[in-house]
Amino acid sequence: MFFKKSIMAGTGLFLSIFLIVHLSANCLLLLPESMARELYNAYSTILRESIVITIVAYLLYLSIILHVVYAAIVTYKNYKASPDRYMMNHTNETSSWSSQNMGLLGVFILLFIVIHMANFWARIKLGLGDGVGFDAAGNLDVYEVTYSLFQNIYFVVFYSIMMIPLGLHLNHALKSAFKTLGFYHKKGLRVLAKISLVYAVVIAVGFGIIPLIVYLK
Amino acid sequence: MKVTFKIWRQDSPKSKGVLKSYETDGISEDMSFLEALDHLNEILVAKNEKVVAFEYDCREGICGQCGLFINGRAHGPHEHTTACQLHMRSFKDGDTIVVEPWRAAAFPIIKDLVVDRSAFDRIIEKGGYISAKTGTAPEANAMLIPKEIADASMDVAACIGCGACVATCKNASAALFTSAKINHLNKLPQGKPEQHRRVLDMTAQMEAEGFGSCTLTGACEVECPAGISIASIAEMNNRYVRAKLLG
Ligand code: FES
Repeated sequence: MFFKKSIMAGTGLFLSIFLIVHLSANCLLLLPESMARELYNAYSTILRESIVITIVAYLLYLSIILHVVYAAIVTYKNYKASPDRYMMNHTNETSSWSSQNMGLLGVFILLFIVIHMANFWARIKLGLGDGVGFDAAGNLDVYEVTYSLFQNIYFVVFYSIMMIPLGLHLNHALKSAFKTLGFYHKKGLRVLAKISLVYAVVIAVGFGIIPLIVYLK
Repeated sequence: MKVTFKIWRQDSPKSKGVLKSYETDGISEDMSFLEALDHLNEILVAKNEKVVAFEYDCREGICGQCGLFINGRAHGPHEHTTACQLHMRSFKDGDTIVVEPWRAAAFPIIKDLVVDRSAFDRIIEKGGYISAKTGTAPEANAMLIPKEIADASMDVAACIGCGACVATCKNASAALFTSAKINHLNKLPQGKPEQHRRVLDMTAQMEAEGFGSCTLTGACEVECPAGISIASIAEMNNRYVRAKLLG
């Protein structure tokens, strides 16, 4: 159990760091159109051509898979540990809703990741669906992929709304990952709880608002 | 006061249980919850019906026997308390009160509200003690322990093993109980020689008993009569990693 939870905590923390990098890059989309296209495409070309990033990308895929697989195993075991529940149950009064529904939130996030990867990764990396053109500098026009997707209001709404389960998941996840890995300093834990909240809000609002801004651009 | 109890009745571990309604009169608000159940049982005896089986010992909040799930909460509506320390003044005249046993795969129901908590005993048997030479009590000042350490150890030693942490946990995890028992001894010089083996053996037994894993929701620390914090679980995790690396 410790091993499984530690893997979940470790992969979760790695993915959390990735989100910061991902969000910082997305901020390029907020620049005026001409600059945004050039910089965003140049940046994504650097990423695609870097060997380090390629390794990190595989680590990311592996992390997502491990996180999901162990989550499924742990959830199944937990279900077996508490099969019949109470006729009258108010245990939700003593802890946060998101902490009790990490699995459900995770399912939403996984659904989002699948669609998100179909929208971008499949088109750009696998070359599936409509072809992707090049910009003036000769870089693959990833900006256009992003821009055209977020002209569709349904995608904008979907991308923005799905950041709510992500934020809820992250708020409980970040502080808990440290506890799972054995950080138990009481004052430190209080600070950590605040950091988790700020982190979750920044990530959720940040990712949630960028599609809207791109849509309105 | 008049109160309607809805109580889980189950004849034996294998039989199917049901919630049964009992109307009672003549309950005083000064009665403890257990006294109210005694009162109900007296009524049942007079009517020649089977009494409700429930556990207790000290009735003063220190033994941990009186595990009851009352109105959807472990030990009733208040935080950090036991069922014997809950009083009827916490309810209103005419209330319906639902009483169920702890529910966890590792705590099978024996009868009515009584569950088998021997899984906890088996965790303790794996290292919730120190190996010491028998004989006369050692001189008290022979081993000096700094006050902060003694206090921190006492904070977790306060665990009365009631099982409320398991009962309220969505995963029926025994992490709070096990961590309290491990940290209590591992903090003290007397517990140090066996510290690594203690963590590994007790947590292995915890898993073998079929308790769930810890999601750190924090529900347990709210219901714990001894107010043990989930930081204790994080500390156990830390000791576990150290035991794996050093032990
Ligand atoms: S009967 Fe001992 S704690 Fe309630």
